[in-house]
Amino acid sequence: MNEFNNRIDAQRRILSLVNSRPWREELYGLSVAAIERWIHANGLDPRSALTATIYASADKLFFLANKSQEQITEEYRLLASEVRRLGDSLAALLQSSYPV
Amino acid sequence: MMHIYAFGSVCRGEVDNGSDVDLLACVDEAAPELDHRKYSIYRYPRLRALWAEGNPFAWHLHLEARLIFSGDGSDFLREIGAPQPYVAVESDYAKFQDLFMQSWDELERGANSATFHLSCMFLALRNFATCHSLAQGQPIFSRRSPLLVVPRLPMSAEVFSTLTRARLLSTRGHGDRLTVEDIRAVLKAAAVVPPWMNTLRSLHERI
Repeated sequence: MNEFNNRIDAQRRILSLVNSRPWREELYGLSVAAIERWIHANGLDPRSALTATIYASADKLFFLANKSQEQITEEYRLLASEVRRLGDSLAALLQSSYPV
Repeated sequence: MMHIYAFGSVCRGEVDNGSDVDLLACVDEAAPELDHRKYSIYRYPRLRALWAEGNPFAWHLHLEARLIFSGDGSDFLREIGAPQPYVAVESDYAKFQDLFMQSWDELERGANSATFHLSCMFLALRNFATCHSLAQGQPIFSRRSPLLVVPRLPMSAEVFSTLTRARLLSTRGHGDRLTVEDIRAVLKAAAVVPPWMNTLRSLHERI
């Protein structure tokens, strides 16, 4: 699979993890605006470890989440291992704070 | 040295509640003072490389960007002229068709994050149509490019607008949440997409 689709996959995995919990409103994307909306809609603490980890994931993937005009470039390298590590942290945080 | 350009919907007059102003900053060194959430930040050599490969984004900027600040009075993008011809359409077709099929599959099997999957379906359709139009020599960078190419995507404007709403929710956190009925309507209409994509691909092959 090409780098572009790999980056979408990385984003999909993060969202799938977060949205595996019954929020009042799902997290719709990893743009800062979408994360802020999700925090507000669910009454979450914007300084919690969970939201900080989601912001960190978004930061790695900001080019994908926020800037539609760049979707058709291969401008950035996917920081795959870092995004995976953040995904693992996210899974652990969700399990401890919002167990299924 | 720095140049700042506006591009995107504001330059096309496609302004509505969900519109944002897309800003490009051309810089010659790291620019920590620029917020990367507000600017697409590119160094000059990278822009020259995009021009040299005939990248769709280079064409987009070439045809649409408007200078709003120049550190030295010059217009960098105007001075580097037209990008090389766009030649990567085959791989771009495949890339965006894959994205559409995978997102549709996720949606159909009822996975969570439905709005995100719909947003990716929009992205795939829009980029597919834009790349096709560019390869045909009649570039369309509008968000509605799938409805403006020939043949147009045979999908109602209403269903397409659901996909657009999903994209705006996903990127700009803006808009009313989608309903189960909205999602069902897209699922019902999505089957028109693969034949339409194949038609555009075959049109290109004939050229």
